[in-house]
Amino acid sequence: MTTSALPALSDIEDRTIPGVLRIENSDREATAPIIMDRLRSVYPHDQIFGMFCPVQDYIAVPPRELYAYLADPRSLEEWSYGMRGFAETDQPGLWVAADRLVPDTEIYIRTVANPDAMTVDYHCAWDQGEHLWMVYLMRVIDAQVVLNKPGSVVTWINCHHPFYDENPYPETAPPGREEWVGDLWEMFSAGHKLELGNLKAIAEYRASHGLPITPDWMR
Amino acid sequence: MGLPQVSLVDVASYLPGSTVGTEYFTQFARSDRMAKNEMLRAPRTRHHVARDETAVDMVERAVAPLVERHGQQAISNIDVLLTHTQLPDNPVLGPGSEVARRLGMTPGWVIDIHNGGCAAFLHMIGLARMILQTTAARTALIAASQNSAGPVFTQTEVRKLAQAAVPGDGCGVGLLVKNSEAPILDVQTRTYPEFAGDMMFCTDVTGSGTFDRDRKYWEPGPGQPCVSFTESRIAKVFTRGNRLVPELAHAVCERIGVKSRDIDVFVTNQPNRLFLRNWREAMGLPPEQHPDTFDSCGNLFAAGIPVTLDAENRAGRLRNGSIVLMAAFAHAGDFAGAAAVRWGAAR
Repeated sequence: MTTSALPALSDIEDRTIPGVLRIENSDREATAPIIMDRLRSVYPHDQIFGMFCPVQDYIAVPPRELYAYLADPRSLEEWSYGMRGFAETDQPGLWVAADRLVPDTEIYIRTVANPDAMTVDYHCAWDQGEHLWMVYLMRVIDAQVVLNKPGSVVTWINCHHPFYDENPYPETAPPGREEWVGDLWEMFSAGHKLELGNLKAIAEYRASHGLPITPDWMR
Repeated sequence: MGLPQVSLVDVASYLPGSTVGTEYFTQFARSDRMAKNEMLRAPRTRHHVARDETAVDMVERAVAPLVERHGQQAISNIDVLLTHTQLPDNPVLGPGSEVARRLGMTPGWVIDIHNGGCAAFLHMIGLARMILQTTAARTALIAASQNSAGPVFTQTEVRKLAQAAVPGDGCGVGLLVKNSEAPILDVQTRTYPEFAGDMMFCTDVTGSGTFDRDRKYWEPGPGQPCVSFTESRIAKVFTRGNRLVPELAHAVCERIGVKSRDIDVFVTNQPNRLFLRNWREAMGLPPEQHPDTFDSCGNLFAAGIPVTLDAENRAGRLRNGSIVLMAAFAHAGDFAGAAAVRWGAAR
């Protein structure tokens, strides 16, 4: 076996970038204490869920069927906490629903799904469908591959888009609404986990009762 | 109806000999880098028990201040004697009966506890409290001796290991009385069988840092004995420790109805600085409420908690009426415990 035969980082002066720890410049003995230092009993909420909000779970249903269910935005009518009344707009693939978390608020949603990677990205926004900046990145993984058992692993990542901190389109908001979706960012980790729990319970119920994961009403 | 209250009415401790500086170990380090790391991470000093000083000697010396404060009669009348010794002088027999003889006691209960590791003081608080609550016994003496640093970690091959600079010797004792002067509010101990067996006794440490376990410890041979953890499992053990101590500490907080931030003093075992930091973070407590003796005494194993309690008490930093929470985990995570006391031993 050869080692380091490839010209890795050869375009960089001295092949050195500050902060890059590779076995060439930080051997295992030197790196171990850095690793141990980063293993804590507790982690501040903001460190884990501040800039990104990852949630994930195992769901005991076949991955391909779960993917197909998620790829239809109307599945949110079932497993989301409060998005209701999905209707397709006059733009194909762009759906609108009421986000019943707050009064009089519409949420626009388009799914961008890739059946090969089994990724389902929900591109959404409150109030307007022109700029879908709230993007929920979901991926279904065959649990046989990653957990050595039948079923699915679902990962879901949300990124803290600057618009969460300030509504860029205040003119589209219903008059008198004081709450902004980004006010809820700190609750997203728990809230998304709750919704992922809904997804798991619904899908596993159908699978264990011989029902199709995607119900007839969505077909 | 309810069980009678049991108090931890006093603590005392003993540290053998003069302090040993970290340079004792760095001179044997296998590389300059290792020496530098030791200076960085090891305690500044530690104590080493002398070759001929026994665990019984250590307990006798630790108990001396209790005799002074409570009188010989109180010690002679002890009903329950519990001991824990890191490295028994006689491998088939704990020191309890000899301790009793040395202290002029004839306890109805003498138990030498060989599990509990770094949490043995809490294990003994739990056992002593149970005996006092459920029998006619009225007083108990519990003694935790860590005596492995001098004998084991100064051996010519073992002292070259990075871990050799961390342990220190010492003995801590506690006096428990069936009354409500300084009540033990709760004790929780848990055994985790799934983590048993990850700590091994090897009989031949080599200078290159390998651990041979082929020879039994009672078989003749030239190797130097030492306790070791499987290198590849170090991170697993570390993660367990990170979890177990706050878990038990929080469990006791919940049972006594106190928020962890409202604990006055938190005392844990002290394997290294990272654990101390992580546990304090998990409890949401500042360093000044989580005292330790790591830098001066090293890892005192089971004696760490009582030695620290005694040091803090002598320094006048433990107020009567304050809530002292103790927590520790043992070995590679096979045992953990926590206990809370409404302090009453301030002098």
